[in-house]
Amino acid sequence: MTAYLTALATEGCIFSIMALGLNVIWGWAGDLDLAFYGYVAVGAYMAMVTSIGRLPAPAQYVLGWHLPFPLAALIATASAALLALGVGAVALRRLRAVYFAIITLSAVLMLQTVISDYTPLFNGFDGLYGMPQPFNDTLHLAPQAYSVFFVGFALLCLAVVYVLLDRLSRSPFGRALRAVREQERAAAAFGRSVYALKLTAYVLGAALGGFGGALLAASQGAFNPTAWPPTETLDLYVAIFVGGMGNIRGVILGVFLVLVLFQESTRFVPALWGNPNVSAAVREILLGVMILVTMRYRIQGLWPDGAQRVRRPARPAAGTRPVLLEVRGLSKRFGGAEVVRDCSFEVREGTVVGLIGPNGAGKSTAVELITGFARPDAGVVRFAGREIQGWAPDRIARLGLIRTFQLPHEWPGLTVLENMILAAPAKGRDAIWRPFFAAGALRRAEAADRERAADLLDTFGLLEHQDELAGTLSGGEKRLLEFARIAMAQPRLMILDEPMGGVNPVLGARIADAIARLVALGVTVVIVEHDLAFVERVCDVVIVMALGTAIATGPLPALRADRAVIDAYLGEAAVHA
Amino acid sequence: MLRRPSPLAALGSACAMGWGDRVPPRHSATLAAVRPPGPVGIHSCGGTSARTHGAAARVTGMERLGLGIGFGLVTGGVLALSAIAFTLQYAVSRIPNLAFGELLTYGAYTGYLASRWTHNLAAAAAAAALTGSVIGWAINAGMIEPFLRARVRTSAIFIGTLAVSLVLQNIILLAFGGTSIAYPLPPEDSQRVGPFIWTPRDEQSLAAALVVMLLLYILLRHTKFGKALRAIADNRDLARVSGIQAHRIIELTWGLGGLVAGFAGFVLAVTLGTLTPTFGFTFLLVTMAAAVAGGLGRPQGALVAALLIGIAMEVSALYVDASYKLLIAFGLLVLVLLVRPAGLVAGEGGRAAA
Repeated sequence: MTAYLTALATEGCIFSIMALGLNVIWGWAGDLDLAFYGYVAVGAYMAMVTSIGRLPAPAQYVLGWHLPFPLAALIATASAALLALGVGAVALRRLRAVYFAIITLSAVLMLQTVISDYTPLFNGFDGLYGMPQPFNDTLHLAPQAYSVFFVGFALLCLAVVYVLLDRLSRSPFGRALRAVREQERAAAAFGRSVYALKLTAYVLGAALGGFGGALLAASQGAFNPTAWPPTETLDLYVAIFVGGMGNIRGVILGVFLVLVLFQESTRFVPALWGNPNVSAAVREILLGVMILVTMRYRIQGLWPDGAQRVRRPARPAAGTRPVLLEVRGLSKRFGGAEVVRDCSFEVREGTVVGLIGPNGAGKSTAVELITGFARPDAGVVRFAGREIQGWAPDRIARLGLIRTFQLPHEWPGLTVLENMILAAPAKGRDAIWRPFFAAGALRRAEAADRERAADLLDTFGLLEHQDELAGTLSGGEKRLLEFARIAMAQPRLMILDEPMGGVNPVLGARIADAIARLVALGVTVVIVEHDLAFVERVCDVVIVMALGTAIATGPLPALRADRAVIDAYLGEAAVHA
Repeated sequence: MLRRPSPLAALGSACAMGWGDRVPPRHSATLAAVRPPGPVGIHSCGGTSARTHGAAARVTGMERLGLGIGFGLVTGGVLALSAIAFTLQYAVSRIPNLAFGELLTYGAYTGYLASRWTHNLAAAAAAAALTGSVIGWAINAGMIEPFLRARVRTSAIFIGTLAVSLVLQNIILLAFGGTSIAYPLPPEDSQRVGPFIWTPRDEQSLAAALVVMLLLYILLRHTKFGKALRAIADNRDLARVSGIQAHRIIELTWGLGGLVAGFAGFVLAVTLGTLTPTFGFTFLLVTMAAAVAGGLGRPQGALVAALLIGIAMEVSALYVDASYKLLIAFGLLVLVLLVRPAGLVAGEGGRAAA
């Protein structure tokens, strides 16, 4: 009985470590990785070939070293991480969601085929066996006592992983990851490199998988391809999903509940009607039902990823220097249609510029091109003295050019205050190693950010909502949060894409007021807007676009007399205004 | 000793074996009929694929290529049906349906039962298609649509379809047991058709696939339903506000996808000659490869990619071990996605990636 229980506990700890690894990839970064069990397998194999020595004759495999377990586990972890770096570098660069899932699935299928077929690597389909019990060459424990020791060891490993991940989840790195998961484009608009963050998360997750694999090999003593069908990964998904995606405590709960308790209990279903598959089939049916019930009644899982509380307090923000944006000959064609055509204009320092034009004039596309969310076919965008056309959006954002979207792109699953702190210039603070090294400097910088964030929330009238999830705010409040976030980011230029879109017109005064505050902080503003009354109230200068190009520039009252502008757009609007 | 039997062991072993178990019996029989059986046995790569290999070695290079392409067309035809059905369901709901394989499985098992009772292949095919259709409709109405309406995350619904797959697959396992069932069909002689070698059954399934595809083409291109479907696939919300009854069209699409899938499952089972509870799930992997390589949500893309993958798999099986077939399919997919991230047939503007 004790043997049975220790076996279960060991299993729970090892699978928890793996599930926590997958949780970094799926729960935090939001990537559906189906290759995960491949990393576990690589970890297990590497731990074995570096510690089992030579097997008797017919067995074929590389290395055959006799390293002590900690070293073998280290190599296993590093190998899994390295493999993930390769797969992730290709798959994460351009592929999203389903495509990523399927590419990773193919990757693991290929890995399995190669390992099963090619015996000189890991002895092919027969696999490896004879893994020595870690540390027992010095401990010399009897089997019973050793299994108790091993539970303790696995538990210790889990505890270390837990502490490490707990720290990471509350660090800027964890926050930035969740921002990417919630709203990728906004994360990029605020200077986060989505690719780098996702890749880091992917490698970290895989490394934990590899480590879990090493432990698995040590606890089972043998490993072969039948032990790791790629679909094994789906098991871990179920545990994470039921336990609470994203929350490390929830994930551990999920593993013990789903993979250990539930599966063990259903193993006692008797074989009925002479069908030996009854027990397995019933178990899997119940597993499926369990997922569906979780989805229906508790989608966030048993122990959901709660709002991460951030503590607050007060100090003013420093103004920044306004600069010039220059656009020359910008062009972009989608298929047959030239949406932006030889468009040129400039934005002077410290001004509020309106960008107006009829529907389809290319305003939004121009914004996408300037901010790097689309790549221009031709033309020059000069910002702060540098040519930025073709740069990635996060790089442009770090230079101080930040945009908003037509619909507010808040990070709904993060609190209002977290939304603010994420908007602060990253300056390498969300590097994965920061919570572990140079932690003091990190804490100080974080404290300063919290102060500024709370201060700005106060200015924008959102302080009372600071610990609420941003997704729960009203449309107007989300818009205000967007402005507060921008103020937090201290950009030199911000481009607002239809700030009045989806906002109750009654809030117009409040939004105008918010924009005035940003200008007072020294930010240059470009506003794309349809609401001409609003534009007239807020903007010093107006640029009119039609058919993909800028046709006139000047104060709005003066433009009302311009023939070309009237033809293109204002004619009708001016009459109604 | 701590060895946890995989809870998904049933799925797993099928995956581990890859799609290799699909190949041999039929094709080697085909080849054996062409050439009198002689001493083979040089290749030790196991079972029937070795025989395929050996027999094929005695025809010239070009002939061999022709053979492979002929088999590939048959495989690709069935695969195209399956991939088009998958891609249509994806197009309207934007959810990759992991329970799709069970539509094939249920179609195949129903077809098996029906053909045992009626001894009529046409009736069996109809029963298979009908079953697939009902289940496809039910998966959408019972799970996907309600969760989509509740604005559940796509990845959560994806896991949900996995749950449905587990339940459906294991119901079959309970009812029929895990052993494979042989499809009782009389053996047939194969014949030369140009450079290809097909049995009448091969020709029938290829013809059936062509007819179904033609019907689908007419349905999608020239009917109101088809237009509405494409509008929803392009932009669900926009379609809805333009007065299209999105709800009904989506339901019908799932039913239609199920219909085609059930039929494809039946055709697959007949050409394979055997049935297992996991056979649909295994075929789903290749189906997804074809649908994704073609650009998810694009039926024409799925068709092109399915033929390409089908031919690549069968041709490769003549040169290397058949267990690499799945690898070939996915290798092709990776290659396509690296060159064209939105799939082979990404239209202008390439919205497919979404």
